[in-house]
Amino acid sequence: MKGKEFLTDQSILRRIFLFLFPFLILLIFAFLQILNLMVFQADKFKTQADSNRILKEKVFPPRGLILDTNDEIIVNNFIRQDLVVTPNFIEDYSEYLSFLSNLVEIEESMLEQIFYKKLAEIKSFQSFTMLRDLNDEQLAKVKLNFKDLPGTEIIPSFSRNVTFGESSGSVTGYLGFASKKDILLDPNLKNFNDQQVGLLGIEKEFDEELRGTVGYRYSEKDVKGIVQDVLSIEPSIKGKNIKLSIDIELQDKLYKEFKGRKGALIAIEPDTGFIRALISSPSYNPNFFNNFKTEEITLLLQNNNSPLFNRAISGQYPPASTLKPFIGLVALEEDVISWQEKILDEGEFFVEGDNRPYTGWKEGGHGEVNMEKAIAESSDVYFYNIAYDLTVNSITPFLKKFGFGKSSDLFINESQGILPDKKWKLGQKGEFWFKGDTINMGIGQGYILATPLQIALAYSALINGGKLISPRIVQSIDGEEIELVSEQIKIKNIKNLDYIKESLISVVESSTGTAKNIYDPKLRIAGKTGTAQVKSILEDNKYQEIRENVLLRDHALFVGYGPVEDPSIVVVAIVENGESGSLVAAPIVQKAINLYEQE
Amino acid sequence: MSRQPLDFSLNLGIDNSRRNSVFDIWIVLSVVLLSLIGISMIYSASQSIEMALRQGIYMVFGFSALLVISFSNFRKMEVFYLYSYWPGLLLLILVLFFSNENNQTNRWIDLGIFTIQPSELMRFLLPLSAAAFLSRKPLISNFDYLVVFVLTLLATFLVLLQPDLGTALIVLLSGILPILLGGLPWTYIYLGGFTIVCSLPLIWFSLYEYQQQRILTLFNPEADIYGAGWNIAQSKIAIGSGGFWGKGYLNGSQSQLNFIPESHSDFIFSVISEEFGLIGVLFLLFLYGLLIYRLILISINHQNRFAKILSATLSTILLAYISINICMVIGLLPVVGMPLPFVSQGGTALIINLVTIGIILSLRREI
Repeated sequence: MKGKEFLTDQSILRRIFLFLFPFLILLIFAFLQILNLMVFQADKFKTQADSNRILKEKVFPPRGLILDTNDEIIVNNFIRQDLVVTPNFIEDYSEYLSFLSNLVEIEESMLEQIFYKKLAEIKSFQSFTMLRDLNDEQLAKVKLNFKDLPGTEIIPSFSRNVTFGESSGSVTGYLGFASKKDILLDPNLKNFNDQQVGLLGIEKEFDEELRGTVGYRYSEKDVKGIVQDVLSIEPSIKGKNIKLSIDIELQDKLYKEFKGRKGALIAIEPDTGFIRALISSPSYNPNFFNNFKTEEITLLLQNNNSPLFNRAISGQYPPASTLKPFIGLVALEEDVISWQEKILDEGEFFVEGDNRPYTGWKEGGHGEVNMEKAIAESSDVYFYNIAYDLTVNSITPFLKKFGFGKSSDLFINESQGILPDKKWKLGQKGEFWFKGDTINMGIGQGYILATPLQIALAYSALINGGKLISPRIVQSIDGEEIELVSEQIKIKNIKNLDYIKESLISVVESSTGTAKNIYDPKLRIAGKTGTAQVKSILEDNKYQEIRENVLLRDHALFVGYGPVEDPSIVVVAIVENGESGSLVAAPIVQKAINLYEQE
Repeated sequence: MSRQPLDFSLNLGIDNSRRNSVFDIWIVLSVVLLSLIGISMIYSASQSIEMALRQGIYMVFGFSALLVISFSNFRKMEVFYLYSYWPGLLLLILVLFFSNENNQTNRWIDLGIFTIQPSELMRFLLPLSAAAFLSRKPLISNFDYLVVFVLTLLATFLVLLQPDLGTALIVLLSGILPILLGGLPWTYIYLGGFTIVCSLPLIWFSLYEYQQQRILTLFNPEADIYGAGWNIAQSKIAIGSGGFWGKGYLNGSQSQLNFIPESHSDFIFSVISEEFGLIGVLFLLFLYGLLIYRLILISINHQNRFAKILSATLSTILLAYISINICMVIGLLPVVGMPLPFVSQGGTALIINLVTIGIILSLRREI
């Protein structure tokens, strides 16, 4: 028989049922098992699900430590005891809260506020941290009454402590809870949604390294939600330790030098780019944030001196006379003037077709000055002259090479400063560039703004033979060194750098130098003073009247490096409304260099 | 034409005067309810509106296909179905070149906006082409059976390579059922059954280690509570703790705390049990029972060979999915990748299942 006719209806029916049959049998078994599970064993499983729950919980690693260059611990972790609640286990919320309120001596209304706010956010079988950092008395009382506190656990957790508090605040930054936006940008943060993560400073920049990897704990809980047994642990991985280039003792001493005045200081090694001190004053104590000190935080946020603002990297100031050496250098490079060529400074500079004089800071002027003298005595008229001849088209590109007008990528919240040119002014101000703008720029005033960090980097490049270095504040991460990145600036004649350095020595060592007050033959320092105008002085508006308002007084600047023979450190200090670069800022720089050299 | 002695249609609701009416309201109602239950449970299990929404979009697509097909003269294009096996086979080969980093399995082809699962497609295309092949002549030769059998084994083998044991078994079933329903002599059936029993040890050793592990844990889930047994143990706790009334929608601690793995796909039955209890399970089983019953009625009452083979095979596969999935999550069968029809998350499966229903509804109009 070659083939077979299709089956009869009856036999196909039989076959259909035959093949349905095994699955129907399976379903019957399944149904019996379901009845068994859901009816006869329901109580057992309910207990297992509700009260004898095997929980998979996150175990958070301790954050990496932050050390200074001498391995002194700047930021470490303390163990604190938190009270964690699982509402599911509590029968009567208000009874529970009033009982707890008596034990920990915290007002019931406050506990209610925390409790119900959290309860709205989570599901009742999830646990949350109700109270942080219990003190010994609270701890003892809670532990004594554990059996009357269902669903309550004391869980050790890490609290972050910045040992030097306020003096290192501008470096370390602080911790807090990641925002939804942060989590969107860095999905790894999702694992840490109930944990503090870095929000500012090093804590933020290196959060990924510091935070470590979450582990898991399988544990068994009883009817009241108390852990009975830890079944297995998938260990967490501790965050990496970060060693900073900061010398914390230097940082601390220099911070105190500011005595709470507004200002900033940066000490950087010109060859390695290591930052040894980074100060913004007034600063804040990061521990207020790390440990939830709400009252202190409110005060900080209300403070008019904006202590959370990092002036050293984000403060934008007119570089004022500290810019003159660079203007001098462009002039030499562009052959606009020679090293010895003299200009007569009678205190005023006029532009053709403009009757308004550009006045120097010294009435009557400095007489005949060459570049060395012009820098040492900070002659404005000399630099008005060469800036006028140079034009903005050659000044701006040159300054850019020295790092002005761009971020150094040390911190995310760094400012770029302003390095103006014709296009910038048209775009930002809607006006054309005037000759006068160039003249003002010649003495570091006008539109140009720089951060203390940018000034420090530019001077480092002057000293180290024209290398624009990328600053480093982290020396190593878990022992792994951070490499130096630098870029050689093209200098036509390397001799020009020596000329400029010579004149920077004269600022301190010449009898007419603006910073002769800090001259000390034991440790020779070179540098440049600066007085940054907060408000431009118009003719009728004399400075004496302006200075009535302290906030409108000039900023005092000094950039110094030492020792002159073989400079190991460059220090920039700005004291806001400090008026005198030589009397206010220079002594701080001198102190910084002395302290650094002592070590 | 002689009618079969067991005429279910007389006393079981198929009214002769309404035979050519479009819909079997019971089939459509149960499918709609099951799909809606699916979407809401996917939301509960995944807590992701996006995932639920996506399933909703698949449901809209699937129902559009169901409507179009059920109004079409599906059987008129029988000739095409003969060849539908080949594109399915091509996709099964292609999918092996799409590696998925997460699961180390190659089950999906990612087309950017959506992914397709060729094995799901195959378990639908294979019976379609097999039924067409076996119905193309009045007489079926033994060679015809052999052709279908070999091609079935080829498809099954390709699915096993992914590796996807559960769907491989379904693909095997979807090729063998048409052969058996086509009238393969009983001698061969007995012989085949005997061979399978004998080769069981061989099959065991060809399984991947994790697949073996799953079967082993079936017999002793408590032995390895943090490894392979964890899933079954947690799933049973979820089902059992649901009790009679359940814990309420979105309130199952087992599923909400992520104790149940794959709670939105293969283990969605556990979530339903935990949150809606025995009542919910009974309702779900009632819907499935109603659906299968009405589908089988159609294949019994249909007079055409192709239609009979196809509808019976597709209905049986649906039943196989339901029973295997439920047995799996309650710990009666090893855990293999097998979704709960219409309910589990998964676009390809939902759309194919709805298309299946559309086809059977279309065939019904000819009764």
